[in-house]
Amino acid sequence: MDVILAAVGDAFTWQALLAIVIGTWAGIIIGGLPGLGSVVGLTIFLPFTFGMDVITSMALLIGVYCGSVYGGSITAILINTPGTPQSAATTFDGYPMTQQGRVDEALGWATFASFFGGVLSCVLLIFCAPQLAKFAVNFGSIEVFALVCLAMLCIVGISRGSLLKGLVCGMMGFFFSMVGSDPITGADRFTFGTYALSSGLDLIPVVVGAFALSEVFVRFSSRDEEATTIPEARLRFPGLRDIGRRLIELVRGSFIGSFVGALPGTGAAAAAFISYAAAQKLSPRRANLGKGEPDGIIASESSNNAVTGSAFIPTLALGIPGDVVTAMMMGAMVIHGITPGVRLMQDQAQTVYALFVVLIIVNVAMLVLSKPSIGLFRYLFKLPLGFVMGGIVMFSFIGAVSVRGNPLDLVVAALTGILAYVLRRGGYPLAPLVIGMVLGPALESSLRRGLLISRGDFLSFFTHSGIATTLFVLIGLFLIWTVTAGVLEWRARAATRRKAASAQPVSE
Amino acid sequence: MLATLIHPRVLTALALLVAGAGLSITAWQGPESAMLVPRIVLTIWCVMALAILVGELIRQAPRQRTAKAPRARSPLPLLMAAVLIAAVATASLGFLIPVLPLVALTLWLFRIRRPLPLVLGTIVIGGGLWFLFHHVLMIRLPALLTNGVI
Repeated sequence: MDVILAAVGDAFTWQALLAIVIGTWAGIIIGGLPGLGSVVGLTIFLPFTFGMDVITSMALLIGVYCGSVYGGSITAILINTPGTPQSAATTFDGYPMTQQGRVDEALGWATFASFFGGVLSCVLLIFCAPQLAKFAVNFGSIEVFALVCLAMLCIVGISRGSLLKGLVCGMMGFFFSMVGSDPITGADRFTFGTYALSSGLDLIPVVVGAFALSEVFVRFSSRDEEATTIPEARLRFPGLRDIGRRLIELVRGSFIGSFVGALPGTGAAAAAFISYAAAQKLSPRRANLGKGEPDGIIASESSNNAVTGSAFIPTLALGIPGDVVTAMMMGAMVIHGITPGVRLMQDQAQTVYALFVVLIIVNVAMLVLSKPSIGLFRYLFKLPLGFVMGGIVMFSFIGAVSVRGNPLDLVVAALTGILAYVLRRGGYPLAPLVIGMVLGPALESSLRRGLLISRGDFLSFFTHSGIATTLFVLIGLFLIWTVTAGVLEWRARAATRRKAASAQPVSE
Repeated sequence: MLATLIHPRVLTALALLVAGAGLSITAWQGPESAMLVPRIVLTIWCVMALAILVGELIRQAPRQRTAKAPRARSPLPLLMAAVLIAAVATASLGFLIPVLPLVALTLWLFRIRRPLPLVLGTIVIGGGLWFLFHHVLMIRLPALLTNGVI
């Protein structure tokens, strides 16, 4: 307890609080600009931390990280262009709500769900970090494969009405993730002799092309129609009664995000899609998902922000960064004398708890700063459409090329933008493409490693461990549920059609 | 029949099938272990694309007799080509030189046509953001000169 109190004292210095305010506000703005995300934000702010003490520097970086994950939802809701890949699932219900004139409500739910998910994951982190770290160690290749298969089921849900098109886009996303060197043997795949393709396709250029550039093309092709207007955004927080009605969704999304974030190699984008898939099965208002239902925003935003806290579990407790962002944070920690690993909780407990307290303050700061940040976006989007679109093109280019510094990423973004425009016009959902690309590497490497462990015996995956068996049973149940629900829905529709057909002559 | 085949949705499905089939051939010619998962993925891709193509053909067949009103030629391909050319040119010309005309063209196509807003918009959005990221925030963007000035 003394350690926690001392950690609170460390976190509440004026330098740390100032760093939190600056970092969080900058993070929200950076996250909201299409193409720029957590990686670019951290890259910008990392050099500023060299002269700071440990807690102040980490407060600045954590602020940028959490702020950018939340900021991505603002443009996802306003212009159907997620600022970051983590917010791609927010577009499913956020943008339909904007089209229905409920933009204030959508932004309010996104902000509150982000705050709720972030704080709950911090509380979990403080009390359960050691236990979660021990449990996460039990997830080997086969368990991760089962978990990713479970997440893949959300393609089926998101593709409602066009399952085949959703699946083909999902396979396309998988294929994109397989370009480059094979993760096991190192052999080049689909590089067609181009050396620059050996490092594979990065997620950021694909997301920038699929959402930001294709949105510019769509708005250009319909610039005489209503779709070209960008609504005036304000923030309206949900009332206590609304929160009470959707508390289960908030808690579920936060727990899913906290759990997925604790597994190395998953990340906030995967957590948001898994949480959305769970909402499609479990939300009492699931029939409205995809049509402008706040539960969809809650599922996505509570889980992706919950990851920001729990992603520190493998990073701090095991020394394993879950993704590029946590790898950068880990690098910053090492620069400032914190060595992540199994001894960290014993050797530097006060510093670790101070970081947890900083995380909670960052989430509170995010809630407070959301209003002025959205106000800034409101002024930006009041500009003539041409300036907004020119800005999106420019930010897309900067975002696509700045992560790896590879000019080929710009070509990938441009080609993906054209492809995404054609697919959107053909009625193909783009979300499965991103899901395939996010989950593809984890699915492939876990399957291949699992096959090596089981000596090529795929059937032994199902009985490999209690966790694997449970996850595969859940997959089976979900499939049975989906097929049964589909058949029942089809029969109900057929019955309605028959009823309408038999009623027609009578009414005439 | 020909009118059905040249419908954009049918063409999209056909293009997906052809792309999937072409990539499948590459996958089946590649090494066994590295291409295991791509072969599965591309086979599913081809099956799905074939099913979509058949579905689109069935759906379009009854509609082929309906006459379509002639549509005005859209300059959208021009914008797409400009984006692609700028992206390709960045590798050899650096970041600034290709994006300036791209931003100017985007503003022009989105009806920012008065000279002052067009020029100011191009300089602020194109040049200003490039300067901010490349020189102030030190996020190194592709450069024309080896010293990175532009």
